Amino acid sequence: MIQFVLSLFIYLKFNSSAFAAGINKESQYQLLEKLPWIRLNLGNIGNLEIDYFLGIDGLSMPFLILSALVTFVATLASWEIKTKLKAYFSLFLLLNTAVIGVFCALDFFLFYIFYELMLLPLYFLIGMWGGIRREYAAIKFFLYTLFGSVFMLLVIIGLYFSVINPATGNHTFNMILMMDPANYADGSIFSAIAAKNLFGISARLLAFIVLFVAFAIKVPIVPLHTWLPDAHVEAPTPVSIILAGLLLKVGGYGIIRVCYSIFPDSAMLSAWWIGLIGVISIIYGALNALAQTDLKRLIAYSSISHMGFVLLGIASSTTEGVSGAMLQMISHGGLSAMLFFLVGMIYERVKDREIANFSGLAEIMPQFTAFVIIAFFASLGLPGFSAFMAEAFTLIGAFTSEQVNGLIPRWMSVVAAIGILLSAAYFLWTLQRMFFGQPRLKGAADWLSKLSDVNAREKLALIPLVALALALGIFPSLLFDKMNASVLAFVQLISG
Amino acid sequence: MMNEYLHLISSSINDTIASLRYFQSEATLVLGFLLVVLSDLFLSKRFSQLSFGLTIGVVLIVMVQSFAFLNVENIPLFGGMVIMDHLSILFKILFCLVSLLFVLFIRYNRSLLLHEKGTGDLYAILLAVHLGMNLMAMSANLLMVFMALEMVSLGSYLMVGYISHDQKQSEASMKYALFGAVCSAIMLYGISLLYGFTGSLYLNDPTFISGLNNIPPMALGVSLTMVLVGVAFKLSVVPLHFWTPDVYEGAPTPVTAFLSTAPKLAGFALLIKFIVLINALDHTFLDIKLIVASIAIASMVLGNFAAIWQNNIKRMLAYSSIGHTGFMFMALFVAPGQGYTALIFYMFIYVIMNMAAFLIVDEIEEQTGKQNLEDYRGLGRQFSVLMVCFVFVLVSLTGLPPTVGFTAKFLVFSTALDAYNSSGSLIILVMIILGAISTLVSLFYYFKIPLNAYLKESISSDVRIANTAKAYLSMFLAFLLLLLLVFPSLIQQFL
Repeated sequence: MIQFVLSLFIYLKFNSSAFAAGINKESQYQLLEKLPWIRLNLGNIGNLEIDYFLGIDGLSMPFLILSALVTFVATLASWEIKTKLKAYFSLFLLLNTAVIGVFCALDFFLFYIFYELMLLPLYFLIGMWGGIRREYAAIKFFLYTLFGSVFMLLVIIGLYFSVINPATGNHTFNMILMMDPANYADGSIFSAIAAKNLFGISARLLAFIVLFVAFAIKVPIVPLHTWLPDAHVEAPTPVSIILAGLLLKVGGYGIIRVCYSIFPDSAMLSAWWIGLIGVISIIYGALNALAQTDLKRLIAYSSISHMGFVLLGIASSTTEGVSGAMLQMISHGGLSAMLFFLVGMIYERVKDREIANFSGLAEIMPQFTAFVIIAFFASLGLPGFSAFMAEAFTLIGAFTSEQVNGLIPRWMSVVAAIGILLSAAYFLWTLQRMFFGQPRLKGAADWLSKLSDVNAREKLALIPLVALALALGIFPSLLFDKMNASVLAFVQLISG
Repeated sequence: MMNEYLHLISSSINDTIASLRYFQSEATLVLGFLLVVLSDLFLSKRFSQLSFGLTIGVVLIVMVQSFAFLNVENIPLFGGMVIMDHLSILFKILFCLVSLLFVLFIRYNRSLLLHEKGTGDLYAILLAVHLGMNLMAMSANLLMVFMALEMVSLGSYLMVGYISHDQKQSEASMKYALFGAVCSAIMLYGISLLYGFTGSLYLNDPTFISGLNNIPPMALGVSLTMVLVGVAFKLSVVPLHFWTPDVYEGAPTPVTAFLSTAPKLAGFALLIKFIVLINALDHTFLDIKLIVASIAIASMVLGNFAAIWQNNIKRMLAYSSIGHTGFMFMALFVAPGQGYTALIFYMFIYVIMNMAAFLIVDEIEEQTGKQNLEDYRGLGRQFSVLMVCFVFVLVSLTGLPPTVGFTAKFLVFSTALDAYNSSGSLIILVMIILGAISTLVSLFYYFKIPLNAYLKESISSDVRIANTAKAYLSMFLAFLLLLLLVFPSLIQQFL
């Protein structure tokens, strides 16, 4: 709660002028905090330079607000957790710290520590308070993510040995310095000029792919997505909210902040593939969602589909596309939190969420149905809601990409548009099956008495999310104004 | 005849007397050993904890004495039999740390305390082994190497069989002794071959090195390999690892904790000497990089994969220690002109986390009699704080943030990557990548413990078990693992 207020304060204080573009100039970051942390003399490779270096720019600021909001909602959803409260909330807060840390860290070492720190509390949160197959889901999630990040560590070390801090002459983990090709040591492994090869592929491209895979597992992209439905379905409601609302965004944020900013040249080379992966994720996620019988699984697959737009937007590398991807992440953060919260409400009441077991809920729980309708329509991209603006911008970006920089062919945006159609299909179909028609429940009268309508606590959680979706849908400039300078600087960095 | 050498006597006596000044810590160990033996014989009835107190005192004094010489540069002692340098002092401090934890471990281990033999002898053996390890770290003469190694081995055999009362434990100690004796014999044979070829036993003697350069590569390879077999036995790396799981399972837990740390570290101290020696040779025939890298790869892969299938926790930790040894081999690759900073740092952390892991396993075994993974179900409730500490220790063993295990792993990776950068040999890169994969594998089995302790339904009672002194000790160690992540300079300032 306190955090939420604080984040609003940050938003208001945030300077949106062009001087505050951030990205690759340290002086343009705001709320900087830099403390030397580990200084180890390593003989002739110089001093180990690791800083406690935090700062935010237009790309990370929206995520901080989103984190605060989603955490707030998740806390309200935690009301239903009844066992081992002390352990639960300490893990929960640890997770929160790690997420905020990832969004703020500007030292790659620190970034990695926060990134890994997210895993542990999540493992226990899913494993201890989750559903029936929770052990399997928890370890699967952990192994998947660790698989990506162990290799990321190797790349980080490689980068460290390639980059020299011009001010001190030492190697450095400073991400901002890594973005400037001039700081790479001559002949070092990731130097753009030296163009070294590893296993027959350019070292920079290989490093880009490794980093991309690490973050893409988080996003998740289609061939690497199988942990997500399991983790979501088995996790307790508040953890699903955090998982969908924040952790998927860590992946997207990582791709923008790390992969693209540090390896822009390789990013340009692989843009076509990334766009393709995005499109496949959109279509594949949507088709899978159509086939689900469990409401929570359906929403999990819809997340995969929606995150595909983020990839497509980033791959287009146009201002519209990147802005759209950012907006999509924020909007999806709010909406998926809302959707999982709604599913959690039903599940809490009757311990069941099979779509086929419900029918005609509109008559039993009218207010609940109203919220569901808002959430569904917002997610499927009805104009007036944030997802529409986000998807529209992404598609515009992807569409114009062919003539602006020739990275993404037009057909990709056309196919992605079909994804929107599919998402309309599964959301509306679910709506029809569960909420309209004759009231018919599997548990009959027993369930009927349990299915009470939305209570005050739940309204308190849902209304801010609805407000966010509407606000960003009607005035996307609330967000665009704040991050535009950063997005422009980012696009310039990667294409220039 | 005698008169020819008479003038040498005075100079060698002078040299010996001058050397004694630097030999304080070893002298303390010898004195301490005698004191502990005597006090255990005559005073143990009246003051039951006297030998414990004495041993702790001796180890602490040795630690202080070692610190006093922290920054020495190569000082040859006793006519070059031993050489004292910064690296060996670091090793000596490490040994003190292990011994200290081991003594505390023995003090609070019930099965050892209640045994009719008492623990007095064990303390005495420990001091003797400690002396052997100190000499191992400093020795510069093949004879000295062998003597020190044997001193450590004999003590270890005794420790393993200390309370053998059932077949399993007798088997463990027998296996260890037999295996060790064979390896020592092979090593001795190798040493005699080297002496025959060169006529010298001093490792840094120019005649020794030039002699080695002059013998046929095949003969050199065979004899050096034989010598290294003895070292590899102590390190328990693949392919000389067969004894490890059985011995670790059969030995008393404190002894297992000790064996999986201290002799290993001493083995590394020796190995570094031999690597320096081999690097000084002109032979292109013996590619030490290739050998070390293949041993590292084999140990990491075998240790970590075999650990997956273990059900007994001690066995699992035994295999994981093979994996860790393989990982430490990675830190032996240093770009020319650099110290073994990463290796020593990793060892410090390894000592802390390994000791903590065994302390906790032992505590659980004593309180509940549970040794197997499945029995750990629901223990998260019975040992609330202890289990949380165990999780931190395991996270650190895996090498993940937020523990210092990550920093250590990171330093090793960066050293190896730097070595790759400067040499460009493919085998190092393969080794690094396999190291990363084995980290992933290790997560899989380490996390079976919290999986069982927290995630599975409890089959035992939910009665909480009060913490004992041993539990507090392991909590302190787990806390250290977190603290050192934030302040690694606490260790680094000495390196």
